[in-house]
Amino acid sequence: MLANKCWQTLSRYSFCCVAFCICLVISFKSLASTQLQSRWQQIESLGKNQSVYFYAWGGDAQINAYIQWAAQQVKAKYNINLVHVKLSDTSEAVSRVLAEKSANNNDKGSVDLIWINGVNFATMSEHSLLLKQWANKLPNFSYTDPSNNPAVNFDFGIPTNGMEAPWGQASLTFYYDSLAIDDTANNTLPTTLNQLLSWSAQNPGRFSYPKPPDFLGMSFLNYALVMLHQQSDDTLKAQLNQPATAQNTAQVLNPLWDFLNKLHPTLWRGGKHFMQSGAQMRRLVGDTELSIAFTFSAPEVPAAVKRYDLPKSIRSYAMQDGSLSNTHFVAIPYNASHQQGAQLVANFLLSPEAQAQKQKAPIWGDKSVLIQSTLTPQQQALFKTTQPHPSALPLNSIKRTLSEPHPSWVNAIMQGWQTRFGVSQ
Amino acid sequence: MQSSLEIKNCELYRQNQQLLSLNEQVKGGEILTVMGPSGSGKSSLLNWLTGTLPSGFSANGEVWLNGENINNLPAHLRHIGVLYQDALLFSHLSVSGNIAFAMPKGNKKQRLEKIEHALEQVGLKGMANRHPDNLSGGQQARVALLRMLLSEPKAILLDEPFSKLDTQLRVDTRELVFSQIREHKLPAIMVTHDHSDAEAANGKLITLNLAK
Amino acid sequence: MSVVSNKLAASPTLKPHKSADMFSKLVTLSPRFLLALLILPVIGGLISVLLPAFGYAPVLEHTTLGLHGFTMLMQTPGLTYMVMLSVGSGLISTLLAFTITLMILAAFFNSPWLNRIQRLLSPILVIPHAAAAIAVGFLIAPSGMISRLVSPWFSGWELAPNGMFPHDAFGISIILGLTLKELPFLLLMALGVLAQPELGKKLRQQHKVALNLGYCPMTAFFKVVLPSLYPLLRLPILAVLAYASASVEMPLILGPNTPPTLAVAIMHWFNDVDLNLRIKASAGALLQLVLTGGLLALWLGGEKAIKALFSDLLTNGEREYGGVYWQKITTVLTVFVIGFILLSLIGLIMWSVAGFWRFPAALPDQLTLLHFKSALMQMQSPLFNTLAIGLVTTLFAIIITLLCLESEQLSAKPMSRFTSLIIYLPLLVPSIAFLFGLVWLQQLVNNQAAFFNVVFTHLLFVLPYVFLSLASSYRRLDPRFAHVAASLGATPCKVFLQVKLPQLFAPILIAAALGLAISFGQYLPTLLAGGGRIATITTEAVTLANGASRRTSAVYAIMQMALPLIGFILAWVLPKYFFKSAHR
Repeated sequence: MLANKCWQTLSRYSFCCVAFCICLVISFKSLASTQLQSRWQQIESLGKNQSVYFYAWGGDAQINAYIQWAAQQVKAKYNINLVHVKLSDTSEAVSRVLAEKSANNNDKGSVDLIWINGVNFATMSEHSLLLKQWANKLPNFSYTDPSNNPAVNFDFGIPTNGMEAPWGQASLTFYYDSLAIDDTANNTLPTTLNQLLSWSAQNPGRFSYPKPPDFLGMSFLNYALVMLHQQSDDTLKAQLNQPATAQNTAQVLNPLWDFLNKLHPTLWRGGKHFMQSGAQMRRLVGDTELSIAFTFSAPEVPAAVKRYDLPKSIRSYAMQDGSLSNTHFVAIPYNASHQQGAQLVANFLLSPEAQAQKQKAPIWGDKSVLIQSTLTPQQQALFKTTQPHPSALPLNSIKRTLSEPHPSWVNAIMQGWQTRFGVSQ
Repeated sequence: MQSSLEIKNCELYRQNQQLLSLNEQVKGGEILTVMGPSGSGKSSLLNWLTGTLPSGFSANGEVWLNGENINNLPAHLRHIGVLYQDALLFSHLSVSGNIAFAMPKGNKKQRLEKIEHALEQVGLKGMANRHPDNLSGGQQARVALLRMLLSEPKAILLDEPFSKLDTQLRVDTRELVFSQIREHKLPAIMVTHDHSDAEAANGKLITLNLAK
Repeated sequence: MSVVSNKLAASPTLKPHKSADMFSKLVTLSPRFLLALLILPVIGGLISVLLPAFGYAPVLEHTTLGLHGFTMLMQTPGLTYMVMLSVGSGLISTLLAFTITLMILAAFFNSPWLNRIQRLLSPILVIPHAAAAIAVGFLIAPSGMISRLVSPWFSGWELAPNGMFPHDAFGISIILGLTLKELPFLLLMALGVLAQPELGKKLRQQHKVALNLGYCPMTAFFKVVLPSLYPLLRLPILAVLAYASASVEMPLILGPNTPPTLAVAIMHWFNDVDLNLRIKASAGALLQLVLTGGLLALWLGGEKAIKALFSDLLTNGEREYGGVYWQKITTVLTVFVIGFILLSLIGLIMWSVAGFWRFPAALPDQLTLLHFKSALMQMQSPLFNTLAIGLVTTLFAIIITLLCLESEQLSAKPMSRFTSLIIYLPLLVPSIAFLFGLVWLQQLVNNQAAFFNVVFTHLLFVLPYVFLSLASSYRRLDPRFAHVAASLGATPCKVFLQVKLPQLFAPILIAAALGLAISFGQYLPTLLAGGGRIATITTEAVTLANGASRRTSAVYAIMQMALPLIGFILAWVLPKYFFKSAHR
């Protein structure tokens, strides 16, 4: 009798306990998500009505127009005044933040948001110039499927640590003037690095690459470096993913210098003068001074044709031996004056609407970082494409992707290049 | 052959309105005086003779110098010397520099001697290295005269050259100029307002009327 | 009668009016304010560059004075080449512009062509250097207008040939661009001098005297007019030389980059991520200062040498130096120069509306307004900035200038030669040398007011031109108007506002248009003082000049030219309706 009563009390008690625990867990979870939610709501309420200075490369009219569109959207949504500060080179913004840090300006920085990746990211991260652990907390970050997607968590092999939010993807692709490369005897389209070298020797002055430290020029050299080591033994190949040191630099880079010594005399202007940027290279193709060029943004080619900046005879293709690929990001300096507004903008840039708009060929054509499987059917519908332009890169052209070497190699290549080719003799 | 300056059937127009018409001959050593109110075309006549007629003016007729038609010669080949109201001495050259500028090419030493001699003759001895801006009005006029004469012109034009000088200076300078003209036997045409100039010239006098 | 004489007797002893006092105080202080405004920023900027050059840069934790900045500089690969390129392109372009100017003046001195050439070239004056560089770049490129005109019928080129221009290693493109831009400036400065009533009349008459003495027109010009004309042209020529040897826009757009000119290299070092390069950049800025100073000294020395060597030549009586021959050459040269300029402008306009325009077609396949439309949508903010900065700067400049000129008249003392020289100071000191220092000072004082910093920096470059433009008109005002007004009882302030200013309406508008044009065309000051946050049409144009779309940069270049033109058109039209002076 007493046992029954005891049991009853116990079970009632344990039931209460369990119920209480369950309630606790539920409330903790909702507390956590409300915390998360309320953290984001806090950011939203603080970030509204701010002015956000977005330091981004301004050499492409299309990209500038897209950023203007994004500015209009965030103005409507959050009343944020997004100002696009056009840079000729991202390093200008990096040096600005560095200077501000040296001047002990720790909370009134002039740079709120910066378009960045690769070497510049490595520099800023090394000097602790970036805000940490914010990108992985953006509501739209989940659309990039971060647990299965190393491309959004590593930048040239360096972990992002929530310091930068992915924005778009790029692969190195080539384009040529079909009226200049007419498939005659010595004039067939080169599809590997070696074929490029022999084609250039047979058609001198029709190819070149932008002067380092331009990003696109460095990418071409990276591509060449990776390709030249395809046949090397594994330990040497592995050095590419390790930082450059005094010991391995010569061994790794010598094949590149040999290659360039053979290539340069056949280049445009005899390799004595290099164009300043990829944009200039594209213009030279339009001028018919160059027959082959390359780009990280394949959709810029049909976009240029539509704007009359390239002739109708242009065709795009990818090298058969591999295409260098990377992701580009947006980051927030540690001392940004308008951190919350910047996060709101970064979140918007990651939204399906913004990503789909960016991917449209006539707008920018930059590949989205969102993974389709994470999107709802309505969101997926935003990404439907229309009939591709004749000069556009055909679908599935990129058969083989190559990942970028460690960013320290960029510096090593640049130093070596400046010493050997920086001043024309 | 005697030097002479001939104006053959000159008709001068300003904006298609006829200013004057003239047909004269001046022999070497003679001075033709032209008088008339402002706007009657006196200075324009001299401009036409030197070949520097400004735009807005046109002319018919011919100029004959020493028996040669010089109508088609540009201004700098006509060898007609001009004396203006202002001395117009070059301020970047000294007195002797101004005169040397006008002289034909030659041996430097000889030219300097000639200049010294000429300066002495007009009472400006020792002023060869003076700056023209430091000279008095009368001295400047004399230097301008020397400059013109030593360029060995074939004819001389005078554009109211004495009107900025005060009375006594005027008489002296005028006498100097006329005596040089007569001595070198050059045909001369003078434009003036002053009747005493005309009397001293002792040549033919033409009075222009205002265009109707 | 007695009433009138009483009034006349009373007026010279006016009791000091309170506002007249303030106005007079303001006016008396103005020249000193002007001097301070011009000297302090330049000297301050130079000092702020001097210290880091010798190693003192507390921001970078370097506090030991030393020469390592200079050692780093000397070790830069290609330094000798950079120096030779800067000096060579500066000197040659100035010499060319000067010589061709003199030849044009000499050949057309008495002819109506001079006026026509003046009218043709005046609009070219307001084209900013960046736009001119873009236009010239389009012209001389292998696929440019010149190649297109002779291809393929003459040259056989179906694809753009392997060419040298622009960006050639000898700097010929830079020289071409600089000469074509500076030639109209020098010519118009000379014509401005000749337009002064007494001086111009005197020179023309002396030229006529020389003609009468048998000198052919060109010789007469060189032997008679030039010696009196040159001293008045000296300062503009020195300003041209200083700019040409230290400019950034022209070599950036037209010059080589392995290596570039010294000024461009200095700019890159200052902007580099690696802050230690700042020390090298400061040392480089000092080197540039020395180079420009050396060039100016060389020019002045050359002037003296020529004077000594050729003084005999003036009076040797040689009248003919193949005058007809030189006249023909000058005519051909003038046609070439004007042809070049016109062709580049035509090319620019065609590019801005071109559809597909493949080499070697001489005309575009189709015309479209797409580029203008898309550019205008992007341009709103830069356009606003350009106009706002220009208007504020010019307003300041005009007010200060007027007050200084008024002080000159009130004190009845002409401005000292020192002041006249200081007016030229920002034009003679290479801007790359002191701008970085000035920007550093500005950031020390006030980091956030980018707009104010840009206006202040622009003021340094606008003031000289506004001053020079207004000074001659102001000084030519008949002083008797002011005397009459004063005798009628008007205070100096009232005389200034109600008698002098209305008379000066047209010259003020012209000076304002000139000031606006100068402000619109500034590149380095806007870029540096604004920290890159303030975009103007010119900064956009330079960024786009080496970019992907000739068409877009052509649109921006045209905007750069159109804005000052609008200013000048207003300056020409408005006086016809407001403050009309009695014209017959």
